[in-house]
Amino acid sequence: MIQPRTTIDMCLKCNICTASCPVVAVTDLFLGPKAVGPQAQRFRHPRLPLPVDSVEWCSGCGTCSQVCPHGVAVAELNIQTKARLAEEHRIPLRDHLISRPELLGRIASPVAPIANYLLGMSLVRWIMEKSLGISRKAPLPNFARPPLRVRQADKCVDRPPNSRFNSQEVVAYFHGCYSNYYEPELGELAIAILERLGCQVILPPQVCCGLPLQSNGLFEASRAYANTNVAALFPFAEQGINIVGTSTSCTLSLKHDYRAILGLHGDQIDAVANATYDFFEFITTKHMDELENLSFTPVNARAYYHPPCHLRGHGIGAPALRVLQRIPALQVCLSESMCCGITGTYGMKSERHQVAYNVGESLFDEIRESQVDLIISDSETCRLWIEEYTGLPTYHPLEILARGMRLT
Amino acid sequence: MTELLIIGAGLTGLFAAALAVQRGAVVTLAAQGRGGLEISHGCIDIWGKTKNPSRSLTRLHNNHPYSRAGLESLRSALQFLDEITCAANYPLSGSISRNLHLPTANGALIQTALAPLSIAQGNLADVTPFALAALEPMRDFYPHLAAANLRQFGFDVQAVVDLPLPGAPEKRDAYTLDLAYLFDDAGWREEAVREWKPRLTGIKRLGLPAVIGFRHHHETFLDLQESLGVTLFEIPTLPPSLPGIRLERILRRRLQEKGVLLIEGSRAVGQVDGRSAGTRVSGAVLHTAGGPRLYAADVVLLATGGVLHGGLIHRQDGHVQESVFDLPVHYETGRVHWTSHSPIQIQPFSHFGLHVDDCMQPLGTDGCVLFENLFAAGGLIAGADRAIEGSRQGIDLATAFRAVEVALA
Repeated sequence: MIQPRTTIDMCLKCNICTASCPVVAVTDLFLGPKAVGPQAQRFRHPRLPLPVDSVEWCSGCGTCSQVCPHGVAVAELNIQTKARLAEEHRIPLRDHLISRPELLGRIASPVAPIANYLLGMSLVRWIMEKSLGISRKAPLPNFARPPLRVRQADKCVDRPPNSRFNSQEVVAYFHGCYSNYYEPELGELAIAILERLGCQVILPPQVCCGLPLQSNGLFEASRAYANTNVAALFPFAEQGINIVGTSTSCTLSLKHDYRAILGLHGDQIDAVANATYDFFEFITTKHMDELENLSFTPVNARAYYHPPCHLRGHGIGAPALRVLQRIPALQVCLSESMCCGITGTYGMKSERHQVAYNVGESLFDEIRESQVDLIISDSETCRLWIEEYTGLPTYHPLEILARGMRLT
Repeated sequence: MTELLIIGAGLTGLFAAALAVQRGAVVTLAAQGRGGLEISHGCIDIWGKTKNPSRSLTRLHNNHPYSRAGLESLRSALQFLDEITCAANYPLSGSISRNLHLPTANGALIQTALAPLSIAQGNLADVTPFALAALEPMRDFYPHLAAANLRQFGFDVQAVVDLPLPGAPEKRDAYTLDLAYLFDDAGWREEAVREWKPRLTGIKRLGLPAVIGFRHHHETFLDLQESLGVTLFEIPTLPPSLPGIRLERILRRRLQEKGVLLIEGSRAVGQVDGRSAGTRVSGAVLHTAGGPRLYAADVVLLATGGVLHGGLIHRQDGHVQESVFDLPVHYETGRVHWTSHSPIQIQPFSHFGLHVDDCMQPLGTDGCVLFENLFAAGGLIAGADRAIEGSRQGIDLATAFRAVEVALA
């Protein structure tokens, strides 16, 4: 395992990361990924307080590590430093709350209509802003009931099925909190598509991926989730069952963050990471033949595709585009590789909201200029955020694929 | 349809991908990070040692990458690059038969063949006297040093003018991109022009660091020039280098629009096709965030660059390796033979690289083609000292063109 801080000597100070950083482009409060990362690291002592706070403005999108040609773990280092900074200060109650979407979902999902009604009231949002610091301008997801695991209870399993008598490929679906508590219909469509492609889908035991906790500096709580997930998923990976997720951030945690940021190591996490696939990565690499044999129904729309930063972190490109290109009548406009700004819970915080909005502004402008009917993006928080500020409907690419396959 | 996997996202890889997708290939471009174009001056150096590149190029030895690719490839490549840049409203000026003579950020001189209009207007063959701008928040530009050096060369530098930049970052040093975003804003430009005009009386020509606009650079540049009533020219800066980034984004954008799968952040390890008795490659394993994933392809093009860009790995034990397929590299064994005694002498390491044939296919130590569907282009190829020759971008384009032409034939 490579510690991010040991990669700083590979930094040539070429500033390629600075040129691509979405946050440094809109605020001078952030010194830039190189300046707060490989450069500032030389002035940090493991037992002395951090000399500069600017790293708190890092949103954790991960672009800097993506674009670095020399293998410096810029984002990983900065996220670790942010966590250290959060520990030095007191982590506010707000951050403990918004980083637990699973807990919130479990409490609110049974009373979803009431919870959604309350969160839709501007007075409630005003109180939340004043008392907690959750920006009243930031969109929040709606709760849904019943959760996916209740709807698809027959697919929930504790351990891998005995595959000796099964000729079908078994796929373990990592739905994450979002498809379980907030948009279970998305999870149902994902299952329907995988089944149409000939897979048997099961829902393995799982908890929140822990990414929101990690990005809020709550590493211990995040590690607890990570360890639970790895222990639960390893038996599936060991049996050669692939773990497929529809949230690009959850799957990035399983693949990368557990090891590179939280420091998990060993054969089990390696096996789980290796078996984890983004939904479109999975269907384009394992089931392209079946996809090619499908006859799609036209989807008459002009769409704008936005690749989430956390999808780019997978290092697989944007595989959904290869599928969307096959759907007749669908016109896809492409996004310049830009961040929308929300980056998980960053844009929800009242002190960060304006910067997060400014990050996304050029994207919103570009979307308005391109005069599209709808927006496609693989990440739930990107969809929520872009929908709020462009007023256009947003979809996961698999919802568009499902339309093309006549599943909706 | 041929499935082509290109490894490397510098000028060579991006340009090869643009050409290949234009010619109907299904293209995947994989790179560990952004390529060298982002830190380059954004001009096209073809042969910087003489005034007339096209004449000098006919006199090169047979193993020079230009000789291998053929001058016809260079001409065709430049024509296609011109199509791409014009379509993006970013026209390049200059010619292959007469170099532009340009000042650098510290007042040295370089020769390049093609440059965006904003830089080409700084051609010192034009003897109109000029002033240099000092933009206060910008630390990586040295107008006083540049003026002193240019005067020593005999150029008429009238003055160094301090120009204020309202709204520039105050809490930290300004990056070139911060300033470029300011220039992008038409309202801000109006304000700047009001403040600048009185300071520019008597000045006909003004050199600025290359920060005039990012997203719509060409329009922005022409607009600013018109409102100031002064001929402007840009001087490329230290990274982040706007001219390089502009050209990079134009190429990247084109690839996205044409359906190229762009994979960023994954290291590639080449795969030999086991069923071909070692005569073909089958693609590459990309080390993605999750783990190694095989990307199969009919043809693989290496555009990974030389020692500065990751295509060649200089090991502590004195050996030099090619980074994707571990192909045989032409180099001097022993680290003492890699560098000269003085940093300003010709460096032996810059000649290291792969030997290729006229089809851009890497050759083994016996001089035979190693794999029938493997190609290489750009800085990975041996036989040129690109820094001394001033031939970097020309070699990238010519060899990429030739490789794609043969690979898709």
